[in-house]
Amino acid sequence: MSVEFAGRKLANPVFTASGTCGYADELADFMDVNALGGFITKSITLKPRRGNPTPRIVETDAGMLNAIGLANVGLERFIAEKLPLIAKMEPAVFVNVAGTTIEEYVAVVERLAGEKALAGFELNISCPNVKKGGISFGIDPAQVEEITRAVKKACRSKVLIVKLTPTVTDISVTARAAIAGGADALSLINTFTAMVIDIETRRPVLANRTGGLSGPAVRPIAVYLVNKVYREVAREAGIPILGLGGIRTASDAIEFLIAGATAVAVGTASFIEPDCATQIVGGLHDYCVRKRIASPAELTGTLAGPA
Amino acid sequence: MTQKHESRKKGCHAATVLSNVRAGECFWKMRLRFSGEAAGAFARFRPGQFIEFDTSDLAIPATESIPNALRDGARRSVLLRRPFSFSDVAVQGDATLADLLYCVVGPASLRMTTLRAGDVASLIGPLGNGFTVPAGKRTALLVVGGMGLPPIRCLARLLSTEHKDVEAIAFIGARTVASLPLEERPAAFDGGLSLSVPTFATLGVHSMVATDDGSAGHRGPVTECLARWLQENVDRDRESLIVYACGPERMLEAVAQIAAERDIDCQVSMERRMACGIGLCQSCAIECRVEDSTETVYKLCCQDGPVFDAREVVFGAETA
Repeated sequence: MSVEFAGRKLANPVFTASGTCGYADELADFMDVNALGGFITKSITLKPRRGNPTPRIVETDAGMLNAIGLANVGLERFIAEKLPLIAKMEPAVFVNVAGTTIEEYVAVVERLAGEKALAGFELNISCPNVKKGGISFGIDPAQVEEITRAVKKACRSKVLIVKLTPTVTDISVTARAAIAGGADALSLINTFTAMVIDIETRRPVLANRTGGLSGPAVRPIAVYLVNKVYREVAREAGIPILGLGGIRTASDAIEFLIAGATAVAVGTASFIEPDCATQIVGGLHDYCVRKRIASPAELTGTLAGPA
Repeated sequence: MTQKHESRKKGCHAATVLSNVRAGECFWKMRLRFSGEAAGAFARFRPGQFIEFDTSDLAIPATESIPNALRDGARRSVLLRRPFSFSDVAVQGDATLADLLYCVVGPASLRMTTLRAGDVASLIGPLGNGFTVPAGKRTALLVVGGMGLPPIRCLARLLSTEHKDVEAIAFIGARTVASLPLEERPAAFDGGLSLSVPTFATLGVHSMVATDDGSAGHRGPVTECLARWLQENVDRDRESLIVYACGPERMLEAVAQIAAERDIDCQVSMERRMACGIGLCQSCAIECRVEDSTETVYKLCCQDGPVFDAREVVFGAETA
């Protein structure tokens, strides 16, 4: 079940996605976190962030909107309180990094780049729920390249994944920019900016007005975008894709692999079934046995043409 | 990895439905049975703790049995689990029984009504921190607003069995007599303290009812009943009193203020929209004061609560 992802050997290609798996201790009651291939922490910023006022979530058909606002303990408390537990984990651990300026991103990465326990970083330039930073970097190709280059320099030997937003005209353009800046891998997609209105009060349900749509509702779009980036950019560049967006079954995960992803991440589904990601590891194993496939890596980018 | 992963379900449990019946205009009561490992986990359930109930796979009732007001929204699909607190938990041999009193308000609770005896439900729990009974308390004032009843009822049971030296008095408020989440309705409510509400009376707990429209008991907010009782019992040692409350945030805020003015301990059970209940989603933020500081922090309703010391909470986030 092992796969190679940006030069790292992973026990399997299944990750838990940033912002849906806390700092690992929360999930440990419900599953063996060591059965995961990779783990991506909640976004870490240089200073602690309170996050947005509530309501921060609202359910929609087959999905949900969130506007958490990058609430996190900040770099120092992350190192003191969360890193020791994370350091003991077997999966490849990536720290998701967010900020409001390039300097903030670089400062967080510089501080953590020497940590042996970490496989690398995921650059969050696609959060739709903060006023400064986040998605404002991720929609402008020139800025994507600039921030990727600056952070990559601070990464030392660590792997740098750049997480892309789907709310652009052509995601291949931002994917190219990230690769030009030195990204070792791409993750896609982050959430779609969306809104739900309370028709009694005629106000947005979320205190932040808008939030990011995730869950099964976005999955077919995510599969399409992964395939598009794979065909147009990533395959030729030899850059692996971490595919995510609405995955909650092994079949969902396999679709992403066929579309071009080297690994997949489970996000919203962990809220409903906390051990969803490890169940998918089991389902993926069964599929490989049934199809006589030695490694899920053999599935990547095997989408056939129309029958 | 060559072997199929064996999924461990610590905290994620199956419960068998023993019964699921309508208990009022829009209230239903489901009795659940836990066995095996889950029985042990829920035997330690504390009043005020909660569970996350999965309704995503449940059928929608036949159109004719869906209340008119819910028909439009009933077709919406359900993805996330829904949080509930139990109104009673009892150990019976190797099993643990739990009562889930719920109000049918939307697509998820509507689907719950289709569960029948023998069906199996998936739920995560017990979650969060329940009510605590500090040493030295002699009188517990239980304040309920509408669907805030279940955890308070569960607490009344605990007090009557494990804290017999603590006298409990319940103040039960709702908008109208029909929105009182009581399974058995007394013939008449007078505005005074009595053993008229069966669910509390069976525990020996006196209660007082208030409705906004005066259709039962005292006409006006239930907090007026609490304030009046405290006025009439002003000679009691405030250290021996404690207030417990669960209900709409506006009511909790008023209860907290009444308790704070008299320097009486008060615990409130808070509610927030939550996607997971286990600290993953970070959506259920509660603004809390930091001791000896003007600063506030966001705590999580699911992990740090849902029961908070009332002095800590900055109310009003979701009452606008």
